[in-house]
Amino acid sequence: MNLALKDVRHNFGRFLMTVAGVAFLVTASIGMIGLYRGIVADALLVIDRIGADLWVVQGGRAGPFSESSAISSDMDRRVEGVDGAAGVRRFVQISQQFEHEGRTLRASLTGLDYPRDTGAWVPLVSGRHLANGHFEAIADASVGLVLGDVVRLGLDDFTIVGVTRGMVDISGDGLLFVTVNDAMAVAQRRTSEEVLLARGASGRATSGSGSSVAQDSKIAAVLVTLDPAADEAAVRRAILAWGDANVLSRADQRNLLLDQRLWRLRIQILAFTGVLLVVMAIVISLIIYMLTQEKRHQIAMLKLIGARNGVIVGMISVQAYLIGAGGLVLGLGLSNLIFPFFPRRVVIDPGDIVLLALAIAVISGFASLLGISRALKVRAQEVLS
Amino acid sequence: MSAPVLSVRDARRHYASGDTIVRALDGVSLDMRAGEVVGIMGPSGSGKSTLLLIAGLLEPPTSGEVLIRGERVSAPDAELDGLRDFRRRNIGFVFQKANLIPFLTAAENVALALEIDDVPARPALAYAEHLLDSVDLGHRMGNLPARLSGGEQQRVAVARALANDPALILADEPTAALDSVRGRQVIGLFREIADTRRAAVAVVTHDPRVLDLFDRTLELRDGRIVAETVA
Ligand SMILES: Nc1ncnc2c1ncn2[C@@H]1O[C@H](COP(=O)(O)OP(=O)(O)OP(=O)(O)O)[C@@H](O)[C@H]1O
Ligand SMILES: [Mg+2]
Repeated sequence: MNLALKDVRHNFGRFLMTVAGVAFLVTASIGMIGLYRGIVADALLVIDRIGADLWVVQGGRAGPFSESSAISSDMDRRVEGVDGAAGVRRFVQISQQFEHEGRTLRASLTGLDYPRDTGAWVPLVSGRHLANGHFEAIADASVGLVLGDVVRLGLDDFTIVGVTRGMVDISGDGLLFVTVNDAMAVAQRRTSEEVLLARGASGRATSGSGSSVAQDSKIAAVLVTLDPAADEAAVRRAILAWGDANVLSRADQRNLLLDQRLWRLRIQILAFTGVLLVVMAIVISLIIYMLTQEKRHQIAMLKLIGARNGVIVGMISVQAYLIGAGGLVLGLGLSNLIFPFFPRRVVIDPGDIVLLALAIAVISGFASLLGISRALKVRAQEVLS
Repeated sequence: MSAPVLSVRDARRHYASGDTIVRALDGVSLDMRAGEVVGIMGPSGSGKSTLLLIAGLLEPPTSGEVLIRGERVSAPDAELDGLRDFRRRNIGFVFQKANLIPFLTAAENVALALEIDDVPARPALAYAEHLLDSVDLGHRMGNLPARLSGGEQQRVAVARALANDPALILADEPTAALDSVRGRQVIGLFREIADTRRAAVAVVTHDPRVLDLFDRTLELRDGRIVAETVA
């Protein structure tokens, strides 16, 4: 007969409470890791989907996702002339805050180089891609706009013709796709307002903003699709030779994001998860220790009637593993239930869950050691006390 | 005649208590034969429990030795933890408190003692039910201990002590928590077990009204046997 199972069934309420406690810790861990995975997924979304082999960015800089990047407005035509470049698109992305029906909304305004790019790579949940050079936009649902909405950006009104879901930038702002020319117009408009404000504030009539970057261009990068036969290294060398541009591959972008921009976040999340696991270890250990302490008399009785240590060890460790496994299953269920309602993407990665399960197995084993070492010290004579 | 089930030979048990030495047992010798029920009486602190602990291989004697069925199993240098298997097969214990496992039914509590001795679950449960029948608890087998009266719990404990058919049963004040009628019932049960199973039973008790059920009664005082009454 399985003593642990019988005990669990007898004290089922208490067992459930314990499992629920562990489940919340598991949920928090899954959320932590999932939040990091979500930020990475969001950050890589555009890089992975936009279908560019190379990104031509401002010279000496690491691209628009790592730092600000501005290139001259004729860069796309220069890149087009390079041997091996099959397709060239301009890329621009600006954070934009605007009013709509009395609400203040945020979006990451992203330029599509219409007509070469109608946004066909953007998965729609409703509506269509861009069909006009001006005043049309595709909005992510998270921006808060719906199909047919008309929003004022800069000096113009834009109609939402398509809606996406889950297309956000690294900070979680929904993407709002317009043509590159429209995006630049919006950006320009903003800049002149800013310049006026700056003038007013300083009382001086300076014209430039003091930035080293040419203000006439808001183009952040040029996306290059290579000929299948092209030599990537040769294309790269040719562009680098101009001196005013840097070239990044898709892999470079990913590495820059993960290893430069997100590494602090990763360390922090790992540290938090570590803390949660330690708390979990302490909680399970204490519970198992308490349960063992409470059973001292019974353990003494078991020893008295000649039970081998295996029987006692089994009773304690099976219960610890049941608590761990129950907590994992319940926590996973809870995660799947509540994280979809969180404002940012929480990615539940099966590989992470396997690692978490291993961690919990180790924790449960460690926790039962404490109880077991207590139990093995119990002497049969204690039945009399 | 065959060897006694239990032989305690000149057993002493001394406890250091501060600077003084407590002579909990001070040279006790005792033989018990199969089918014999022996009562052990004496004032509090006279060494009754200590004698059972030493006879039950739970404590080694400071000097002297313990033989069970002629085999020398305990002496001052004995490694008692290694005797768990031996204890399980040869000795049954009953105490003042029944010490039943609260999350197991009466039948499971008894069956556990058999399963620990590697009896498969089904026959173990069947035999446990048979044992509970024999202590008149056939109708209570599925109850958890919390649902049983003190006397019923104690009878379950007796059935558990019988599970491995031990040659020796040691009972330390098994009736102390029971009223005199139920107390007498439990001692009567021991009498029956000794008669039918040929077990040797030692019972510590303070109740003089059950002396008629013993074959003989030992009187302990200050760790020594001061009187022996044969019924
Ligand atoms: N572990 C121990 N350490 C020190 N002294 C002990 C220990 N166990 C028993 N004693 C002492 O040994 C003496 C005998 O104790 P024992 O428990 O055998 O008495 P008893 O006859 O069973 O008494 P009671 O009727 O109260 O149960 C007592 O004086 C007791 O204080
Ligand atoms: Mg006593």
